[in-house]
Amino acid sequence: MKKIIEYVRLYFRLVGAGVRAQMQYRFAFVMRIVGMVAAYTGTAVTMWVMLYQFEELGEWNFYELLFLFALAVLSWGFCIILFFHFRSLDTYIVNGTFDRFLVRPINPFFHFMAMKFDIGAAGQFIFSIFVFIWVSNALDIHWQLGKILFLFGAVIGGVLVQGGLLVFISAIAFWTTKSERFYWVVMYPARNLTNYPLAIYPKMVQWVTAFVIPFGFVNYFPAAVLLNKETPYFPSYIGYFTPLVGIVFFIVAYYVWMLGLSRYKSAGS
Amino acid sequence: MDSVKMYIAFTKKAFMRSAAYRFDVWTRLVSNIIFLLMWMSIWYALYMDKDEASGISLTAMLTYVAVSQFLTAVNGAGTPLWELQEKVRTGDIALELMRPFDVPLRYLFADFGSVAFYMLTALVPLYVFLFFFVDLTLPTSWVTWMLFLVSGFLGFLIRYCIELIFGLFTFWLIETGGIEDIFYFSVSLLSGSVIPLWFFPEWLQTFAEYLPFQGIYFIPNAIFIEEITGNELVVSLGIQLFWVAVSYAILRFVWRKASNKVVVQGG
Amino acid sequence: MAIIEVKNLRKEFKIAKRETGFVGALKSVMNRQFVTKEAVKDISFSIEKGEMVGYIGPNGAGKSTTIKMLTGILVPSSGSIQVNGIVPYENRKENAKNIGVVFGQRTQLWWDLPTIESFELLKEIYRVSYSRYQENMETFTEILGLGEFLNTPVRQLSLGQRMRADIAASLLHDPDILFLDEPTIGLDVVAKEKMREFIQEINTLRNVTVILTTHDMEDIEKLCNRMILIDHGQKVYDGDIAAVKSRYGKMRTLIVDVEENGRDLQVSNGELCKQEGNRKWIRFNRDEYSASDVISQITKTHNITDLTVEEPEIESIISRIYQEGFSKEEVPVKM
Repeated sequence: MKKIIEYVRLYFRLVGAGVRAQMQYRFAFVMRIVGMVAAYTGTAVTMWVMLYQFEELGEWNFYELLFLFALAVLSWGFCIILFFHFRSLDTYIVNGTFDRFLVRPINPFFHFMAMKFDIGAAGQFIFSIFVFIWVSNALDIHWQLGKILFLFGAVIGGVLVQGGLLVFISAIAFWTTKSERFYWVVMYPARNLTNYPLAIYPKMVQWVTAFVIPFGFVNYFPAAVLLNKETPYFPSYIGYFTPLVGIVFFIVAYYVWMLGLSRYKSAGS
Repeated sequence: MDSVKMYIAFTKKAFMRSAAYRFDVWTRLVSNIIFLLMWMSIWYALYMDKDEASGISLTAMLTYVAVSQFLTAVNGAGTPLWELQEKVRTGDIALELMRPFDVPLRYLFADFGSVAFYMLTALVPLYVFLFFFVDLTLPTSWVTWMLFLVSGFLGFLIRYCIELIFGLFTFWLIETGGIEDIFYFSVSLLSGSVIPLWFFPEWLQTFAEYLPFQGIYFIPNAIFIEEITGNELVVSLGIQLFWVAVSYAILRFVWRKASNKVVVQGG
Repeated sequence: MAIIEVKNLRKEFKIAKRETGFVGALKSVMNRQFVTKEAVKDISFSIEKGEMVGYIGPNGAGKSTTIKMLTGILVPSSGSIQVNGIVPYENRKENAKNIGVVFGQRTQLWWDLPTIESFELLKEIYRVSYSRYQENMETFTEILGLGEFLNTPVRQLSLGQRMRADIAASLLHDPDILFLDEPTIGLDVVAKEKMREFIQEINTLRNVTVILTTHDMEDIEKLCNRMILIDHGQKVYDGDIAAVKSRYGKMRTLIVDVEENGRDLQVSNGELCKQEGNRKWIRFNRDEYSASDVISQITKTHNITDLTVEEPEIESIISRIYQEGFSKEEVPVKM
């Protein structure tokens, strides 16, 4: 127990340093926030245009679609802050800077994770909170305690699923030298895919996003519960499993990463 | 025409380079396939039970999407913008400016090479496969195919110039982050790459028609599914030519300003 | 009990064979072919507490591989390592508490923050007590002159300043052993001197064992009393620097400036290896002749206006050791 407290304290110290480092570049920081809000607003506008004539996508209307999207953005925001730098592990290894983490008396995963705390991703929250308020109004959603707790669990699950995938991708760096491209080729398209209701995709795709790379749990399944939408092929309560799925997926990803690390320690780079 | 030979050499070199890193190049295909699947699914779901909307049939719309993704993949196969921006940031761009060639043209010709490789070895096979197995409305006459290729090429040029113009803002603002995102979104929506202009609200459609972006995706796509024919087609190609000329002129202007800045200030 | 004990250390790597051409690439996806490379072949040595050892060898000799195994970053293929009684790759965290590492070219400090903040963070990571932290900071600031840039962000420091901060940072937690990888690379003459002084002081005052990997032979000469030379993954030499010099450094060079009188210089007890105008370089074996023997020979035919006797540098000795190959006689290590 004492050890956990120590690690938490150390995490905040390290992360604080990362934040202070980022604040040294104030203009870049502001630009990033602006950029993110702009990019997400752009997607929202595209959705609006899309549904202008067609009104519904797979039985989801514009506001519901926006809600789905905002939920993904919210958990992705936390994910960026905590884990985004994992995708550049290959660069750290190639430059030799990763070895530094192995020479210190703390868990290397923890150390690597604490090195960056990308507070610039805060733009995502601005976007999501705004959307949630707007959509709740339009759809007349009543946020009782139960719903709020559920949302909380869904976000945590979503962060762990997406973070877990980033950890998986970074673990590839222990085996080959170029792992970052897997992010752009796999994760980035997948994130886009799940901005839209899974129901519109072929069964195979839905199955993969539910049980293999559980992106469905980041926004679709929880949103379906919150908005009372049907989820073809899946039971409607599946969204409740989100936190559990997140935890399990992340733990598996962590062990794969540590496995990669021990492979790195015996095979070099 | 020695200079033409020189630029063609860049094309060849880029082609060779893509061939050397072919596995890297081909991984991009995975991402293209996922986006293709995504947009086809979206439009299929949008149409739901309708056979047609605004006079466009479902198969025509799916064809539009497929072709649009083809052009998107082609346009994404060149040198990534951040490479150039890195060179500006590190000052390496000064080295390029000392050479006896025109830098924007050099990158354009290099892009021809990398695009050609990706297209011939990955995209075309994929689409041949796609056309076999999915019921899409392909153009009936070879003239349409030709016109499509010409139109797509013009769209490529427009995109290249505009993207480079935006990218050059790094010369003045070190961090362009926010501006770029606004740019990419605008291009993506207003170019009709994922939603054809016919489905836009009227005011937006009019607005988009005055912008160069529709020349990048909407016009070639519409030509392919034969929604733009006859006189309209000629006019559309004319519009594209117009934008190629204008964006190229602006590019030259911005480039001159930018390279002067490097020469005077040393990056 | 030696503080570092290495026995029959071996490390081999499996490197994938790369095929050329399209068919080759396809083949390699189906059936990966591997070539085994032995980076470290069978190395044994022991180091006592307080020693300053130079660990040298040409590039690719296996130096950094050995160091990585000693610091717990790499797991050996076979053989045993004990550092302060701990097996580094089995007990990485315990080992990490006892060692300090300086990678010459890569800093361990936080790039964008003021230097002092890196020290504070390391204090947290290594759980250094507040009082010990204060003491160390005072000492290091004094000896290394850190005060002038403690509040400057690391990215704005000069190379010399950064290296000073790095070495102080590596000692903050009072490790028993210090691994230095190219600590003086890129530094100007004055900075190098300061760095060497500091390393010497740390060794003398705190009895810190120092393992120094470097290509700078002056570092070795000025700091180390013992040198381990490895090449192609094997130990080629292990012993006193002085012994190396006396065993291999028998040759001397006499540089004379003579008055030209049109006669050829005849030296039978030495070898005229170079001449530039009035200046002549003569090599002789000091075991067989003394410098004065050679000089008296020269004065028979020429007047000498100026002279110097040069000792061989470690560098040339070492390249000769490489050329002579694996030496079977080792000069035993003095305790």
